[in-house]
Amino acid sequence: MNKNNPYLPIPMRLVKNFCETEDKLIHTFDLEFVNKEDQENFKYLPGQFAELMVYGQGEAPFGIASSPNEPGILKFSVAKVGVVSKALHLLEEGSTVGVRGPLGNWYPVEDLKGKNIVIIGGGFAFTTLRSTIQYLLDPVRRGDYGDITVVYGARNPGLLLYKEELQEWENRDDINMVTTIDRPAEGWEGRTGFVPAVVEEVAPSAENTVCIICGPPVMIKFTQPVLEKLGFTPEQIIMSLEMRMKCGLGMCGRCNIGSKYVCKDGPVFTLEQLKKLPNEY
Amino acid sequence: MIINKSEIAGLLDNLVKEYRVYAPVQKDGIVTFEQINEGTQAKPGATSKKPPKEILFPQSEELFNYQVDSQGLRMEDKIDDTKSVAFGVRPCDAKSMMLLDNVFHNDEYEDVYYTTRRKNTLIISVGCNQPASTCFCTSVGSSPFDTDGSDVLLTDIGDSYLAEAITEQGKEFLCKLNLPASDDQAKTKAEETKKQAQLTSEVDTTGIKEKLDDMFDHPYWESLYEKCLGCGACTYLCPTCHCFDIADEAKDCAGCRVRNWDSCMFPLFTLHGSGHNPRTSGKERWRQRAMHKFNYFVERYNASACVGCGRCIKNCPVNLDIRQVIADIKAQDTGSEVS
Amino acid sequence: MQKLTKEIQDTAKKLLEENKVDLVVGFAKGSLPLRSTPYFARTAEQAEELVWNQFCENNLANYLKKREEKVAVVAKGCDIRAIVALIKENQINRDNLYIIGVTCQGMIDRNKADELVNGKEILETETNGEEIVLKGKDLEQKAKVEELLYDTCTRCAYGNPVIYDELIGEEQPAKEPNFEDIEKFEALSAEERAQYLAKEMEKCIRCYACRNACPMCYCDTCFVDESTPQWISKRANSAKDNLIFQGVRVFHQLGRCADCGACERACPMGINLSLLTRKGVKDVKETYGYEAGLNPDDKPVLSDFETDDPQPFLMKE
Ligand SMILES: Cc1cc2nc3c(=O)[nH]c(=O)nc-3n(C[C@H](O)[C@H](O)[C@H](O)COP(=O)(O)OP(=O)(O)OC[C@H]3O[C@@H](n4cnc5c(N)ncnc54)[C@H](O)[C@@H]3O)c2cc1C
Ligand code: SF4
Ligand code: SF4
Ligand code: SF4
Ligand code: SF4
Ligand code: FES
Repeated sequence: MNKNNPYLPIPMRLVKNFCETEDKLIHTFDLEFVNKEDQENFKYLPGQFAELMVYGQGEAPFGIASSPNEPGILKFSVAKVGVVSKALHLLEEGSTVGVRGPLGNWYPVEDLKGKNIVIIGGGFAFTTLRSTIQYLLDPVRRGDYGDITVVYGARNPGLLLYKEELQEWENRDDINMVTTIDRPAEGWEGRTGFVPAVVEEVAPSAENTVCIICGPPVMIKFTQPVLEKLGFTPEQIIMSLEMRMKCGLGMCGRCNIGSKYVCKDGPVFTLEQLKKLPNEY
Repeated sequence: MIINKSEIAGLLDNLVKEYRVYAPVQKDGIVTFEQINEGTQAKPGATSKKPPKEILFPQSEELFNYQVDSQGLRMEDKIDDTKSVAFGVRPCDAKSMMLLDNVFHNDEYEDVYYTTRRKNTLIISVGCNQPASTCFCTSVGSSPFDTDGSDVLLTDIGDSYLAEAITEQGKEFLCKLNLPASDDQAKTKAEETKKQAQLTSEVDTTGIKEKLDDMFDHPYWESLYEKCLGCGACTYLCPTCHCFDIADEAKDCAGCRVRNWDSCMFPLFTLHGSGHNPRTSGKERWRQRAMHKFNYFVERYNASACVGCGRCIKNCPVNLDIRQVIADIKAQDTGSEVS
Repeated sequence: MQKLTKEIQDTAKKLLEENKVDLVVGFAKGSLPLRSTPYFARTAEQAEELVWNQFCENNLANYLKKREEKVAVVAKGCDIRAIVALIKENQINRDNLYIIGVTCQGMIDRNKADELVNGKEILETETNGEEIVLKGKDLEQKAKVEELLYDTCTRCAYGNPVIYDELIGEEQPAKEPNFEDIEKFEALSAEERAQYLAKEMEKCIRCYACRNACPMCYCDTCFVDESTPQWISKRANSAKDNLIFQGVRVFHQLGRCADCGACERACPMGINLSLLTRKGVKDVKETYGYEAGLNPDDKPVLSDFETDDPQPFLMKE
């Protein structure tokens, strides 16, 4: 974040513009810091987001998909929906973009030490979860955490993000990586079924465990009762919210749920915290 | 100190040489705060249609310019640190600036555009001898001679104003003006003036925060919004409303980032990129407006985001009166005070 | 007025009690002098709150669009013109609407009243037939009601509702539509006109009260809010963009504007919007002999094409 003016983005160079999904709607962008100083100042943790700016178009908030242990770059995966995301998709490698951040809070990785972690993701909302997994799997840190279970689902194989990494995680034995697609598809040998059902099958123990869940509203809605059945209390369930955002600083007034600004007091909340807020998101 | 009314114009003329001076100006029947070049333009004692928040937080403001070309990226922000004086601010409007300070300088971030202007702007208020029938400042913790947010408070005592310094900056400013000291007679007159300034409008706001704590799902919101047009009149003209939008205006890779006032009463305000909108109708939007003013803001900053200026009352095209809303909220049964 | 109020209340009560309608949209007493406020009565008891007076300035057709339930509306001449136009545009289902038409002599312009008392605050009013007394602290000003009417009202020729299910009030004498204001403006030089419009548009704060008060403005997303592409700047300090906003609004209203003045009444900044809307009304009338919302059976003029339609915008005739 620019120390003097939080509205000023720092310049970054687009080094990779990669089409992530079969439907071509999601691209992943690797950005490199232009100034060494900016790189040193950009300290973030999994779960935080940044405002990504395309010069001449505008800015929009995206979760940071890279992890602090991948130094020198920031990674974002962006769905094509409107002005900024469309412009991003069209950008040539080598272009300059602006980044304002890191913004918001993060998954409580400090408090998670000594605990088992369950990560549940759906669709393209896997960005900050990728960041979290990379972070937890870092050899310097892996020992601090217990079992790690990941359930990640998409409609079909072509819509899964980070396919190479998924493969790599599946091959490791210090993480239980479960990938699923909604319905059987040709060439897919992995698991099929909706995320809530798969979570029920995998049945992670709630004992000394925290669950981070991120995905489309329907997935969250149907996974919640499953988690409850498995014994997860609202304090043990952590979610990340999306709202329409502009400033990211708790000033422009549009992202609030009750008295909380999702951009600044969130986007990460425990289900316990959310239950105390009005149901307006 | 005493300022003779006949000397106000001359005094402002002098100020204009040293400061950027804003004052209420009447144009086409509408009073707004504008930068003046001559003292005679000012109309102190008039309440402006648009609140003077726009001096610190203009309706449209360029945050920075940028250009990307073969030489790389250039950005230039436009932070305005011109020494300014806002002359003739109403006490409620001065108070609103204190409330806005909370927003634009929160526990993590500082909006340098706002705070730089704020630091460089002296607020000279004029108390209200004759509050309007739509004023209800005393019901929301303020009063016609409230000093909160002002550097200097002027009291109209007939042919002259009694000037009181409220802050250190105000004191220094008054010293420089070399004004005659106020005599006992003027002081007594000022005291009397303050006492006789009666509000005719009152609404009981005690306990409204706690009441609203239990009212999010209350049926009251179903009927409240029915006549509302969902326009921006009440929020744009409110001295404490601070919502804004950020947009780029650019041609190719050169342009500027602009912020514009925005309003929670507009449907697009919260529309997600996915098409989902957490506030789908006027019901959710009016609830947000009421909750923000009398519950959420209180929770965050320990004060209600309403200073009782009455602008939203006077300017609502369908006469939806916030005093009535407050009274209605107070009168609702929330089931929580049964025992 | 008292009599009209009583008749409206009785009619509304009856409709609600007999379950002929679920809702009566009308006016209730306002919280300020010179104001009435739109009101939604769903029970006979609530119907007692309904009033009629010369402060019923809003166009209630605005509240009737896309309603599922059976609704009655208390409507004056211009509200009904908008209703007729909206029925043609499939925004109002005539079968579900009961129109309590009220004949109208015009509504009082609160800005004119404020101007008359020169900055003093009006706290109370008293109407005695043709005369109104504006009262306040150290204030008691008499005025002729006629002199305080909205300009759109004094020039309106349709105080007698064109359609209704029930009519309340005495028939008003016939009048000719009057476009003197527009003729005067047309007579100015282009430069003078541009100057005048720039001065008006500088006042705009883009609150969109005008658009939202207009019964005929109902696009899902107004072009000013569009983001892909963004047609005009969102800045309010650009008088040029403000004029584009109003200009396009007027174009979208050609042959549709009911000339009710609701947009201008809603504008908190007192901008002379009827100058633009009425220029459109006048041009459509002169070019096609058409005025919106007068005849339930004709086609909206710009949805209709005749080979001999004048086309002054294509070639000089
Ligand atoms: C904390 C957070 C993290 C996020 N992380 C990610 C992520 O990792 N990946 C990702 O893909 N997305 C993410 N999002 C969502 C992303 O910010 C939105 O999709 C964003 O809207 C994209 O911006 P845009 O400029 O492309 O779309 P916009 O142009 O803002 O608009 C999207 C849609 O809304 C409509 N719209 C917007 N504004 C207007 C208007 N004024 N008038 C009319 N219509 C309008 C557009 O027509 C379009 O259909 C995140 C959001 C948040 C809050
Ligand atoms: S000014 Fe009135 S009509 Fe407009 S949004 Fe506010 S309450 Fe609704
Ligand atoms: S809510 Fe209304 S009365 Fe209160 S400060 Fe805002 S404009 Fe003034
Ligand atoms: S444009 Fe104005 S005058 Fe015409 S119908 Fe709409 S509100 Fe009435
Ligand atoms: S109501 Fe008036 S100020 Fe508001 S947008 Fe319309 S013209 Fe502009
Ligand atoms: S995005 Fe502006 S307050 Fe949250």
